Amino acid sequence: MNKLTTVFALLSLLIFSTCSKDFLEVEPLVGSTEVNYYQNGNDAEAAIIACYNPLQQEVTNIQGSGQLAPHFRWYFGDVCSDDSEKGGSGDGDEPELFQFENFNGTANSKIILAEWQVAYKAIAYCNIALDKIPEIDMDEDDKNRFLAEAKFIRAYNYYTLVTMFGGVPLITEALSPSEYQQPRASANEIWNLIQTDLIEARNDLPRRSSISVSQLGRATWGAATSLLAKAYAYQNNWGLTYDMAGEVVLSNEYFLDPNFSNIFTLAGENGSGSIFEIQYMNASGGNWGNQLEGTFTNIFQRARGNFNGFGFNIPKEGLVSEFENNDPRLSLSIFREGDVMGDRGVFTLEATGFSYNYYNRKYFSNNADDASFGDPAPNGPSNDRVIRLADVMLLYAEAAWHTGDNLTVRNMVNLVRERARGGNNSVLPDVNGQVMGDALLDRVYHERRVELAMEGHRFFDLVRQGRAGDILRAQGANFVDGVHEIFPIPAAEITLSGGDVTQNPGY
Amino acid sequence: MKQIYLLLVLMTFASAHVFSQKMDVTGTVLSSDDNSPLPSATIYEKGTANTTITDVNGAYNISVENSQAVLVFSFVGYLEQEFTVGEKNAINVSLNPNVRDLDQAIVMGYGNQKRSKISGSVSTLDSKEITSIPILRTEQALQGRSAGVQVTQTSGQPGSAQSIRIRGTGSINNSEPLFVVDGIPSFGIDYLNPADIESMTILKDAASAAIYGARGGNGVVLVTTKKGAVNQPAQITYDTYYGMQEPWKKVALLNAEQYAIIMNESRASAGLNPDPALSNPSALGEGTDWQDAIFQRAPMISHSFSFSRGTENSSTALGASYFLQDGIIGGEKGRFERYTFRVNTTQSGGKKFRLGQNINYTYLSRSALTENNEFTSPVLRALNMDPVTPVYRPNGDYSYSSFIDSDIANPVNAIDNTFDNYTTNRIVASAYGEYDILKNLTFRSTFTFDLSLGSQNIFFPEFDLGVVPNDPNRPAYEWRETNSLVRIENKFSNWQWENIATYNKDFKTGDKLTVIAGYSALANKFENLSGSRDSLATNSIDQAYLDNSLNFAEQSPRSGGGIGESTFLSTFMRATYDLGEEFSFAGTIRRDGSSRFGTNNRYGIFPSISGAWNLTGKEFVKSNDKIDFLKVRASWGQNGNADGIGNYDYTALVVNGLNYTLGGDQQQTNGAGPIFTSNPDLRWETVQQTNLGVDADFFNGKINLVLDYFIKDTKDMLASVPIPGVVGLEPSATNVASARNSGVELYLNYRNNDREDFSYSVGGNISFIKNEVTDLGAGGQPISTGNVFGSGDFVSFTEIGMPIAYFYGYETNGIFQTNESAISNTSQPNAQAGDVIFVDQNGDGELDSDDKVMIGNPHPDFTYGFNFEAKYKNLDISLFLQGSKGNDLYNGIFRYDLNTTNLPISALERWTGEGSTNENPRISVSDPNQNNRVSDRFIEDGSYMRVKNLQLGYTLPKSVMEKIKLRKIRVYIAASNLFTFTKYSGLDPEIGSRGTLEIGIDRGFYPAARMFMGGLNVTF
Repeated sequence: MNKLTTVFALLSLLIFSTCSKDFLEVEPLVGSTEVNYYQNGNDAEAAIIACYNPLQQEVTNIQGSGQLAPHFRWYFGDVCSDDSEKGGSGDGDEPELFQFENFNGTANSKIILAEWQVAYKAIAYCNIALDKIPEIDMDEDDKNRFLAEAKFIRAYNYYTLVTMFGGVPLITEALSPSEYQQPRASANEIWNLIQTDLIEARNDLPRRSSISVSQLGRATWGAATSLLAKAYAYQNNWGLTYDMAGEVVLSNEYFLDPNFSNIFTLAGENGSGSIFEIQYMNASGGNWGNQLEGTFTNIFQRARGNFNGFGFNIPKEGLVSEFENNDPRLSLSIFREGDVMGDRGVFTLEATGFSYNYYNRKYFSNNADDASFGDPAPNGPSNDRVIRLADVMLLYAEAAWHTGDNLTVRNMVNLVRERARGGNNSVLPDVNGQVMGDALLDRVYHERRVELAMEGHRFFDLVRQGRAGDILRAQGANFVDGVHEIFPIPAAEITLSGGDVTQNPGY
Repeated sequence: MKQIYLLLVLMTFASAHVFSQKMDVTGTVLSSDDNSPLPSATIYEKGTANTTITDVNGAYNISVENSQAVLVFSFVGYLEQEFTVGEKNAINVSLNPNVRDLDQAIVMGYGNQKRSKISGSVSTLDSKEITSIPILRTEQALQGRSAGVQVTQTSGQPGSAQSIRIRGTGSINNSEPLFVVDGIPSFGIDYLNPADIESMTILKDAASAAIYGARGGNGVVLVTTKKGAVNQPAQITYDTYYGMQEPWKKVALLNAEQYAIIMNESRASAGLNPDPALSNPSALGEGTDWQDAIFQRAPMISHSFSFSRGTENSSTALGASYFLQDGIIGGEKGRFERYTFRVNTTQSGGKKFRLGQNINYTYLSRSALTENNEFTSPVLRALNMDPVTPVYRPNGDYSYSSFIDSDIANPVNAIDNTFDNYTTNRIVASAYGEYDILKNLTFRSTFTFDLSLGSQNIFFPEFDLGVVPNDPNRPAYEWRETNSLVRIENKFSNWQWENIATYNKDFKTGDKLTVIAGYSALANKFENLSGSRDSLATNSIDQAYLDNSLNFAEQSPRSGGGIGESTFLSTFMRATYDLGEEFSFAGTIRRDGSSRFGTNNRYGIFPSISGAWNLTGKEFVKSNDKIDFLKVRASWGQNGNADGIGNYDYTALVVNGLNYTLGGDQQQTNGAGPIFTSNPDLRWETVQQTNLGVDADFFNGKINLVLDYFIKDTKDMLASVPIPGVVGLEPSATNVASARNSGVELYLNYRNNDREDFSYSVGGNISFIKNEVTDLGAGGQPISTGNVFGSGDFVSFTEIGMPIAYFYGYETNGIFQTNESAISNTSQPNAQAGDVIFVDQNGDGELDSDDKVMIGNPHPDFTYGFNFEAKYKNLDISLFLQGSKGNDLYNGIFRYDLNTTNLPISALERWTGEGSTNENPRISVSDPNQNNRVSDRFIEDGSYMRVKNLQLGYTLPKSVMEKIKLRKIRVYIAASNLFTFTKYSGLDPEIGSRGTLEIGIDRGFYPAARMFMGGLNVTF
């Protein structure tokens, strides 16, 4: 029996020795964990760069489906307005956009779902940065600047959401699993957050004049103040729009590039009149579903055929005729038959294979600037000019009109026209003092439409000016007042929220 | 009773004495399986003590009293047979194996158990059942053979996995069982040659599987490979078959003329003029049948060779095989090849020490086309491509569609341009030593290494279907400007070290105690390396190597690589106690720890208990001569399901690469952040199961019955479920839910081999399982899954009180016949006459998510298998049916969202005016009413019954065999999937799950082929 006891004791030792607890401690070897990552200034900066990253995502995977959906700024801002039509190879090319163009779009659309998901992805990274960076031991100035950048990007994405969808769920911190289902906040609550974030951000963001060339593209005081002006304008709060736009215009931080033709060239990126651009480059690689640093906008908007594009966002006749006679901006904004399309050849209908008479010139890219390797589609070089000085000046003019400062209205419009004139005094005469009242406002509207044509602003301008219904119905669109100012909430999001998120009226 | 027997014996002796007319009977006893001789089989004269046994060659010689004598032939593991001697002097007997033999040792986890003593719920398959029909993968052998085990294909493409559900969908996360091959948990069993398998045991209840703890929750399939037996003469076998596969069904679609008519009407309804190319429908005729264009006949070939032999002190089993199967779509583009080689050896080193080694090498090569998605799969494209576009233009080039732009490209061209091959080199090797420390105590230590090297080669050639250079009309999918190559190397390496002590004690009372205690450490590691380049010098797969790229730009060669590791540490113990012949009890406990569990929940404990009561000895059974055996069983246990958890799912990894471009010189700047949400509480799912069962044999074992009732509760279910976009990160797995599966399983078999030259058996099994989600965690938020693009929303819904992933959408109520009725329905403001009426369930005048209801259940009411086998002289025939009843399918094979795709033939019966139909809506390109949203219009009955196999074989007579000195030759012809009875309109009703929460959704399912085969079995 003694032997048996010994054997059992030995066996037990062998079998039940908890050999080493370390055996179960397996740390990831690739990447860090959320708990141990945010340690120093470099980590903080990487966390901020991650906030900018979703801004570039134009053709994105829909969560959990593997399906790609394009959702450009110009899909909604231009194609859904009276300035352009969808284009492409036919009605069946991007059929959902075709539906939205005519205001028949539905909540099942993938393009609005992608728009929604990408905006909240950016917001999530901003919320993480705003949560983690304050705890990091690092240079205080850098810290404050980073936090201000996160607030700016968060506000930018909420601006996109509130103008697209109205009130949306208000998320300002990382959500735990029990908090995933969030109801919609009111549009006012969203606007309040945007304003709070931007007011705080502009205090800590650097002036454009104080940042180095290598940092161009990051948020600045001017970007935050301009976005704040746009936010006030969208709510028709003209007093504050006037103040904020005025601050930017009078700041001596930005100057109209004397040469309009320079703005939409690669050399003109982040130019003297540029307030905020989404940065793109053509040499990072990337492909469909894995867009890196390039843009799809170039190839989507270039003509088909010899021009190797997809031919979307076709300017309409109405936009072309809006330009005054001999306005130099027309040929710098829109290609017409016979124009030379950069180094890609002369624009003829045969060369494109389609009967479209116009193409957007502002986002045309030369063959020489195609990606040097990889798929050219996701690797377009052109930055997306989101806010430029002329936009803020004309907003300032609009606000000035509403607040009764007609002098500023005329000053701003005439400064923009003067630049457009390009030194040729026989065109684009100044708006003179006789133009008053509604006629003066019309001049502001006109100037805004031609100066900012095909830059993704028009639909949202029409909505905030209360003119969308009349103008778009005149185009034959099925626009219903009180419904189509905003887009439907994606059906999948309503489902996933368990019904906490409700649909917009009329959809 | 005994006395009567004795008396009878005496009387027989007495009478024999009187009428003595002794005669000699000789013959051989063979196994009906492979005609191999059965040495030491017993032959006795019924009613006498006259007994003999066979020699090494199965031969015997016995003297019987007279021609009335009845000889009984028996052999362990085989069914007894009786023959009246009559005038015959030679009786050759072929014994049939008794698959329900009560004394048969059943492989359980960590040791064997007699069938008569088992108190849990297990099913077994022997090698004969596994190889009786030509199967493509080892898992397929389980289909229809065992009650409670549901096997469905995840695709009909060669080499595709099978989805296996033991007792229902146990989890919304991972529901696949654990495979244990010769004691080693194994990632998949596709590397095994089915012919190398000796037996498979399916542990169905928690008590049987509890010894596998945190990984046994979905049931366990134990696979034992063939080994040589002690003193077994050398045996060599060769099996081969050749088969031809073909598609068996097409979906009825519109032809070109019909398509044009419908499309013109569709555009007209939106106020658009007809497409000029379609303006004269009647000129278009039949057009292209894209299904004919992609489907083809395809061969399959199998060769399998085995050798086994045993001596007093050692044994060897060798197996080698080759298998090839081409796809009925793409032929060689869907080719699957498998080479296997296996050596199993044992040695004894003295009386107390034994050694053994198992080594398996497998090479798999799989070329595959995209399957079962609604974007790029050939099936989906063939169903949706317009019939007006021809496959080829007159000059022989492939053509593209002028009517459809997105996703739906020319499928034949796409197949031609697909080069996607995955090869695996896998070695699984294990060695054990076993030592008898004491008479009753054995210690065994096993070390196993499993190395799998996977290599993927994807080549994207450049091509252009444009009619002219830079053809402006070609859709984006129909040209690729630059070719490129992707290479991926994966390495999976796992090791396991397991130490087990087994103690056996036979008490004088007849009681028996067995205790097994063990300790196991397991480590898994995955590494990968990938690279890609474009602009290859030659646009050909033959020269598709990364170094052949002409693109020398610095950033151009892209590469990636990573590593993942996980560990398990486990201790376990099982005690079984047999109280005489009547009662047996078993209890197990296992403690499992894993690096995959969150830091807050690193260890789990899994207990179980079970008991069986053998009623065979009771008077009411004894006195009933129809019942041979009766046992009732009960068990309870808990185990876990952890295999759905990723290595680091409990934490949110911060990854680099969320970059942004900055500066005038455009520098990429690194950004970092988490991609997925985190969860430090992450742990296994707990599966708790109660089982009650009855085993009974009737009429001398001719009828076997196994009946089980079970309740299986899964708690703390894990899943990565879609989360609202507002979270901003991708979802990670969380312990969110509970579900209950309960059901009844019945196995019934009848076999008759009363006659020497004719035997047959009929058997079947049926399982009824009810599936219900019982909890979904805090808030009980339902889970939406299964996004179907043709309908533009999720179709599957998982919520409390309902079956997992049931179909959820709008109920329809016919068609608006007039504009007036459409306008008066305020819940559908955009509806017109001809649009679908969706039911506003809550009557609030709005059609929204509150109005969605259950529109279908993807879980069957029952599944079943049916077997018939017969042998007449040298002929044998077998029939195997398998089916499913009462499950619904969601037909998502049409991309309605693209507006201009081809449509099912039912489009001809669309609404065209008041009273025309109340079934099919008008067809409109703008579809303002969203007629194709998720609704019961797309739900179909998925019930089917399939003739899985029909086989006719002929074994050459013994006389011929003796001449050519071979033991056995059998030739056969067989057909698989010969007939499928179903009402489903898609290509194949046998649709498994994609993940766990997408069950029965048809997105253009790659159908199973019908196969015809001819084969040969030779035993040397």
